[in-house]
Amino acid sequence: MSTADTRATSGEGGIATPGTQRFAEWVAAHPSAFPLGLLLLTCALVAMINPAFLQIGNVYDLLRASVVTGLFALGVMVVLSSGGLDVSFTAIGALVMYVITRYVIDHAPDMPMAPILVAGLVGGCLLGVINGVLVNLLRAPALIITIATQYAFRGFLLTFIGTSLVMNIPASMSAFNDLTLVQGVNADGQRVRVPAYFLVFAAAAVVSWLMLNKTLIGRAVYATGARPEIAARLGFNVARVRVFAFAWAGALAGLAGILHVVSNRLANPFDLAGNELTVIAAVVIGGARITGGTGTVGGTISGVLLITLVGSVLIQIGVPSIWRTAVIGAFIIAAGIFYAWVDRAAGRS
Amino acid sequence: MPRDTPAEVFLETRALTRRFGGVQALRGVDLSLRSGGLYHLLGENGCGKSTLIKIISGAQPATSGEVLINGTPRPTLDPIAAQDAGIETVYQDFSLLPNLTVAENVALTRQLVATRGRLLARLDWGQMRALARDALRVVGLPGDAAFLGRSVDQLPIATRQLIAIARAVAARARLVIMDEPTTALTRREVAHLIRVIRDLQADGTALLFVTHKLEEAKEIGGTGIVMRDGAFVAELDMQTADLGHVAELMTNRRLDQSRYRAEAHKPDADAPPRLTVRGLARAGSYDDIAFDLAPGEILGITGLLDSGRNELALGLAGLDPPQAGTVTLDGAPVRLSGTAEAVAAGIAYVPEDRLEEGLFLEKSITDNVTTAVLGRLRGALGVISPTRARALARRMVKQLRIVAPDVGAPVSSLSGGNQQRVLIGRWLAREPRVLILHGPTVGVDVGSKDTIFRIIQAQAEAGMSVIIVSDDIPELIQNCDRIAVMQDGRLAQVFDGATAEPQMLYAAIGGIFDATEVPA
Repeated sequence: MSTADTRATSGEGGIATPGTQRFAEWVAAHPSAFPLGLLLLTCALVAMINPAFLQIGNVYDLLRASVVTGLFALGVMVVLSSGGLDVSFTAIGALVMYVITRYVIDHAPDMPMAPILVAGLVGGCLLGVINGVLVNLLRAPALIITIATQYAFRGFLLTFIGTSLVMNIPASMSAFNDLTLVQGVNADGQRVRVPAYFLVFAAAAVVSWLMLNKTLIGRAVYATGARPEIAARLGFNVARVRVFAFAWAGALAGLAGILHVVSNRLANPFDLAGNELTVIAAVVIGGARITGGTGTVGGTISGVLLITLVGSVLIQIGVPSIWRTAVIGAFIIAAGIFYAWVDRAAGRS
Repeated sequence: MPRDTPAEVFLETRALTRRFGGVQALRGVDLSLRSGGLYHLLGENGCGKSTLIKIISGAQPATSGEVLINGTPRPTLDPIAAQDAGIETVYQDFSLLPNLTVAENVALTRQLVATRGRLLARLDWGQMRALARDALRVVGLPGDAAFLGRSVDQLPIATRQLIAIARAVAARARLVIMDEPTTALTRREVAHLIRVIRDLQADGTALLFVTHKLEEAKEIGGTGIVMRDGAFVAELDMQTADLGHVAELMTNRRLDQSRYRAEAHKPDADAPPRLTVRGLARAGSYDDIAFDLAPGEILGITGLLDSGRNELALGLAGLDPPQAGTVTLDGAPVRLSGTAEAVAAGIAYVPEDRLEEGLFLEKSITDNVTTAVLGRLRGALGVISPTRARALARRMVKQLRIVAPDVGAPVSSLSGGNQQRVLIGRWLAREPRVLILHGPTVGVDVGSKDTIFRIIQAQAEAGMSVIIVSDDIPELIQNCDRIAVMQDGRLAQVFDGATAEPQMLYAAIGGIFDATEVPA
């Protein structure tokens, strides 16, 4: 007992005073605090410059615009937590959305929304399994494998499926877009709403949270992400855990693809590509370390809301929207510095 | 007394062999461990100890032979089956998951074993916390919610070790295997560890230590199992064993247990000092450190893990620069503001953790030995001459008696002792004026220790000043002219190496470790 806690609080490097160390430990234990704080700070800043920002319509817009990025980000967060990295998710989303939309139009125009969503989920899941199996089989870094599969999935889509826009999407998808969860009227009389498909994102967040926190596989994901060799020694089947994480990311990417078609009312096979780094940025700002073993649903959602907000509010405070990427870059740097400081100050080794 | 009343055999191996490609790591090992027994698995690096415990714990299959648990043959032993049977292994890294909490690290594997590795199962947090709380109490750690929820990477080494043992307690382990359990611990922590282990033993748990520290094994007592070259050599009672004889069994050669430091080479006390340190301080680590080091002198620095000895070593190496004080090297002041300054001044530092802080494991011996002297190996156009690099590496391999097929071989292919010699070789190649060795023989076997000690002595005799920072008291007494003991960040006492007795040093360190503290 004497040896246990006397040095536990003094830290390793002695660089932090007890106060800052307690703060660092608190932040480490509450990973959503940093992105949530940044989000509130950004809102406060924008509201100070342009008080018109404070209206319910902006909240509704933010929620609606977060759905696709948010679904991708939840999947990436699970893969990062398991020690992997996935950059193929946009290609999975594009392939799944285009194949399914085309199929429904050509062969089952009356298919209702629920089976379309399930098909997106299953299709994305299968593509994710390919990622996971390849990572295990080839024992190559996940980044390399998923760069390869990103090209493969996209190449397959554009070569064998098609390159033309699908403008008249199935009736059920169009109707799903019109289905409204909440609506209101802005100060300028404009009608604003949160579409019902937001619930798909909400459900994905809840299920991901339950999976990570209430099941054994959730702990297995974190164990594998931090120290795969130790996890294996303790009896975790790390190969299976990796496949599971990539499958989870693939399934959510498939859903994201379907909802992208729903919200845009068109299926463009060239869409989604190029958004990989924005999504990964949201996840990293949300506290998932690129080195694996950390990552939370709350942090990821906060990161997604922050990035989406930056994309839409700059124009409202008179900053040209081309500055969006620079602002996001600044947030990523801030997050990198902050989390590195937390690790040092909390005396982690 | 468990040893006097033979309990039933818990684990048995019969004619166990293991082959890796062309290498025969185990050549037919018969082992028999009784419930409540205390065993020390002794042997040099590469003798097959690690392979043996990996097979027993289900991490690796045997090539041939049998493992029997409670008399039943277990041909397919995986980690979950081994844990289910009550075998818990505490590896040197403690097998802890740094990003998870204390409670999860103690109790998570129980849930995994309960579901037989099936991962799509609900976590029972309530049961996990209750199990963790009870197990932590057994090893003397707090079981409150705050401690249960702490992340393991914020805890000191000794606490992590106890958490690993708590996991074995939570598993109601029948056999706990500990791989070099005391390497990273101070004496006081070792004493606490041994008390915990005695309690487990009294409950009928068998304990198997894998260790290099013969003196410690003797103090703890129990049965010594000696392995050499993949085979079982001898079984003996550690309490009555002659350590020289044990070392001979392990290495198959006669080793000198006496002092390496020859009195004839005592440095000239009147010569101007090589290194003068005055008022060296770093807040929270050490304060008011002052000493002189003569040319060719070997100074030992020891103390508890939290005495500031490690921080002082890092400070002198410029890795963790001191905040106040002066350091003078051969009359010229040295600014220890970084490693580059220390190295330029002629101070070389061989770190404690050779794998993480020192060696480039995938690189060749040549690359590793020459990194600190690349400037000297430049040929025309500033390109490194591979011929000169190899020649230097060959000279070091010969001088340090490194056992390797070729200087192009990756360092990862060498044994621990040889790796350590490569690291020492890197700094000797620079011909430093002061060599700081931090735990020079941590994880190194008896035979390699002997070689490393001879290298240190040879360098000192050639005029190099050496500082050894270590918690291995016999090693300091065998090698040093003077031994300084640190306490609470200050140099508390300095002993003459020729007359110092281990008990005096242990008392000065403050971590008294004697028979009264460890009920036999």
